[in-house]
Amino acid sequence: MEAVRDGVFRGLALYLLWWVLTEGDSSGLTAGLVITVAITLISLGLFPASRYRIRPVAAVGFTVHFLLRSVAGGTDVAHRLLKPRLDIKPGYRTFYTTLPKNGPRWLLANTLSLTPGTISANLKGDCLELHCLDITAVTEDDFRDTEARVAAMFSQRSRHEVEQ
Amino acid sequence: MIDALISALQVLLLATGCGFFAVGTLGLFRLPDAVTRLHALTKADNLGLGLIVLGLLPSMPGVAAGLKMILIWLVVLATSATSAHLIARAVESSETDSTGRSE
Repeated sequence: MEAVRDGVFRGLALYLLWWVLTEGDSSGLTAGLVITVAITLISLGLFPASRYRIRPVAAVGFTVHFLLRSVAGGTDVAHRLLKPRLDIKPGYRTFYTTLPKNGPRWLLANTLSLTPGTISANLKGDCLELHCLDITAVTEDDFRDTEARVAAMFSQRSRHEVEQ
Repeated sequence: MIDALISALQVLLLATGCGFFAVGTLGLFRLPDAVTRLHALTKADNLGLGLIVLGLLPSMPGVAAGLKMILIWLVVLATSATSAHLIARAVESSETDSTGRSE
């Protein structure tokens, strides 16, 4: 039952993608349907449903957080670059994340690369090494905040659900 | 009236977006090494492209075309974050290799 639901959901998402890529052209909808079904079947074979489920409300919260941090990141770097004297103190900082591996850790590393002051340089196990543009401006609190938002978005499926 | 207001807002968003791209490029010249340059490119371009996409959205012919623009932004974000990470990792590992020998 769960597998059917995953398949239908994935198929609908792919069909939406087709619709977006063809800019809503109605002449391509039938061909799109055939291709969507084929891709859905192949992708379910290659990438079985993830162990995580996305919580929609937390995902909206994460998106808003990400957008605000993007604006902060862009203006921060622009501000530093436009000062007559370059205002940077580059260096590395290492944090240990409590997030589970794969998806969540990957999302955390990429989010931190796009938000103020940090680029993820190395992700080894639970150890995330960040390159900071200004080492004094990167705080553990910011890291924990982003980490908590990523964690809130993923809910682990029960073993029962995964196996079905 | 509303149309004029939207057009004005679009111009503002597009100009600001281009400004951020220009600043990101300025970063290539001003910053001292590869990893700090990545900071300028990823952050400024992420915001710059976001503003340009936002500015173009009202001119899109339909919902699907608008979503396509947003999708383009998301794909660029994913590629820039991933390539920045890979370059930073390469720089970091070459630094660790050369310490002791060159410095």
